[in-house]
Amino acid sequence: MSLSLEALKLRRSRRPWVVLAALVLYVILMLFGFATYAETETGGNVEFRYTFENESYFNGLTFAVYAFYFAALLLLPVFASTEGGVQIAGERSAGTLPLLLSRPVSRQRVFLSKFAVAGASLAMGVGLFLVLVLGVGLVFVGWGELRLYPGVLQMTDRPQSLSQAEALVRFLWVWPAASLAMLAPLTLSLLISTWSRSAVNAVGLSVSIYLVLSVISEIHFFRELRPFLFTSTLGYWRGLFREDIPWSQIFREASRLLAFSAAFLGVGLWRFRRQEER
Amino acid sequence: MSEAPALLTIEALGRRYGARWALRELDLEVRRGEIVALVGPNGSGKTTLLRILAGFQRPTEGTVRLFGKDPWLDRVSVMEQARFAFAPPALYPGLTANEHLTLLPSTPASPRERDRVLEWVGLSERAHEAVRNFSLGMRQRLSLALALIPVPDLLVLDEPADGLDPLAVIELRERLLELRQETSLSILLSSHLLADVEQVADRICILHEGHAVFTGNTEELETESQEWRLVVSDVAAAWDALSSHFPLVRQDSDAVYVPWERSEPPLVREALEAAGVRLLEFHRVKPTLEAAFLKLLRQRLDSTPTLSPDR
Repeated sequence: MSLSLEALKLRRSRRPWVVLAALVLYVILMLFGFATYAETETGGNVEFRYTFENESYFNGLTFAVYAFYFAALLLLPVFASTEGGVQIAGERSAGTLPLLLSRPVSRQRVFLSKFAVAGASLAMGVGLFLVLVLGVGLVFVGWGELRLYPGVLQMTDRPQSLSQAEALVRFLWVWPAASLAMLAPLTLSLLISTWSRSAVNAVGLSVSIYLVLSVISEIHFFRELRPFLFTSTLGYWRGLFREDIPWSQIFREASRLLAFSAAFLGVGLWRFRRQEER
Repeated sequence: MSEAPALLTIEALGRRYGARWALRELDLEVRRGEIVALVGPNGSGKTTLLRILAGFQRPTEGTVRLFGKDPWLDRVSVMEQARFAFAPPALYPGLTANEHLTLLPSTPASPRERDRVLEWVGLSERAHEAVRNFSLGMRQRLSLALALIPVPDLLVLDEPADGLDPLAVIELRERLLELRQETSLSILLSSHLLADVEQVADRICILHEGHAVFTGNTEELETESQEWRLVVSDVAAAWDALSSHFPLVRQDSDAVYVPWERSEPPLVREALEAAGVRLLEFHRVKPTLEAAFLKLLRQRLDSTPTLSPDR
C-alpha cells in the first residue's frame, strides 16, 4: 500500500515532467554543440588524433556516449539528489508526514517505500534517458561503430572500436550500472532529508554536497581523499564501453558505491525511526 | 459511563521543549464510548498532547497508555485501534478523495465502504476530484473520512470544526453522536472554542499553559464558576476583607464577587462584619458556559502572574 501511494504521488507530481523537460533541453543543447563543433572542426576534413579521427567517427552512438556521460556525472545525480531530498522533508514541510504516520505502518516501511519508489523511478529515468540519447543519435546523426579514444572522458587508454551491435549491448549494460551509481546521491539526499523540515533546504544541501564532492574527487590535489568519496567512482560504468571490460574493477567500484548507499540508507533509516515529529 | 474500561490513560504527563514546559502534570482518561473534549487557547498544549498520543513525540515525564500500550514505543499497534485527524488537514493535492481513501488506510476500503464514508462526510459528488481543488472545509471532511476507514475504537479529532460553515458544524456534531451511538467508539476532540464541543462532549478538559485547569462535565464547569455577588456598603473595604480569606475574589464598581464553592454565607458575613462592612444584598450568579470558561482562564492567569518556564 505504501509503495502504491508513493508511486501514485510521484506520477501525479510535476517533478518527472520538470526532469524530462530539463533532459530534453540538455539533449538539444548537446546536439547543437556537437553539430556546430563537428562542422567547424572537421568540416574541412581536418583530423584530430584524440577527438575526431574522421567524419565517420562522429556518429549517433558517439553522441549518445558523450551526452550520457556528462548527464550521468552531473544532471542525473542532481536529479537523484532532488528526488531524495524531497522525500521526508517534503512530507514534513507539506504537513503530510503525520498523515502517513497516523496509519498502522512502521516508520521503516514508510522510509523504505520512499527509497524503493525513488530508486525505481531513477532507474526508469536513466533507462529512458539512454533511449532518448540513442534515439536522437540515430535520427539526427545516424549510428555506426563506436570508436573511442583516450582523452577527457577517460573511457579508454587506447583507441578502440566496438561494432554497432556490441555497442548497443554495452549501452544496455550501462543502464543498471549507471542506475546503481545514482543510488549513492539518492541515499545521501534521503539521509539529509530526514534531518530537514524544509524540502528546499534538503534539496539545496544535497545538491551542494554532491557538487562539492564531485569537484574534490576530480582535483588532483585531493587525490588522497578519493577513496573516501563516493563521487570518485560514480562513473565506474565507463569501463563497460571498453573493448576488454575490466570486470574486477567494475565490481569493486560498484561494491564501493553499494556500500556507500547502504551506509547512507542505514543512517537515514536509523535517524528517521528515532525522530520526533513536531 | 464510568464503569467502561479506559482506552486512554494519561498520568502526570509532562513535555518540555528546552526550558519551556508545553504540558505539565496532566492526568486524563478516556473511556469506551465517551466523548472527551480538550479545550484551551492556542499554545495551551493541545497539539503537543495529540502528538504524544499519536506516538510522534515522547513525553518528558509521566505515562501515556493507549489500549494499554505506549504510543511512542508501539505506534503501529496503537494505530490499529486509534485514528487521528490533525489540523490543519494536510492531504496530497494531486490525489483525489477516492485515491486517498483507497491508498492511505492500512486495510483497503471496499468500494462500498468508501462510498458510504464519502456519503457520510458529504463528498460523494467530489470523490474523483483532485484535492487541490477542495476548500478547507472539504479537506476537513476528507480527513475525517480517512480516520473512519475502518471505524476505530478511538477517534482523535484536532480542531474538527475549523473551516466548516455553521450548518456543517451542527451536522458534524450530530454525525459524531450518531457514530458513537452506532459503534460505541470513543472520541477525543481538541478545540480552542468551547462552543464547538460543549454540545457533544461528555467531559471537558480545559488546558491552560500545559496544565489541566478543569476536567469534568459542562454542569460541573458552570457550577465551579458560580459566584456570590455581594452588594456591600464599601466595595473596596469588602474586597480587602474578603480577599485575605478567600482566593479569587474580584470586584466591580457595585459589588464584590466570591467563588461560590469556596465560601459559605456565614463565613462571608463574619469577614465583612469584622471589617465593619454592611452586607446589603447577596445572590448566586451562574455564568454561561462560555463565560465560565473565560473566567476559569482569567482566574488561572491571575493566579500565575509570571509564566514560569520551569517550576
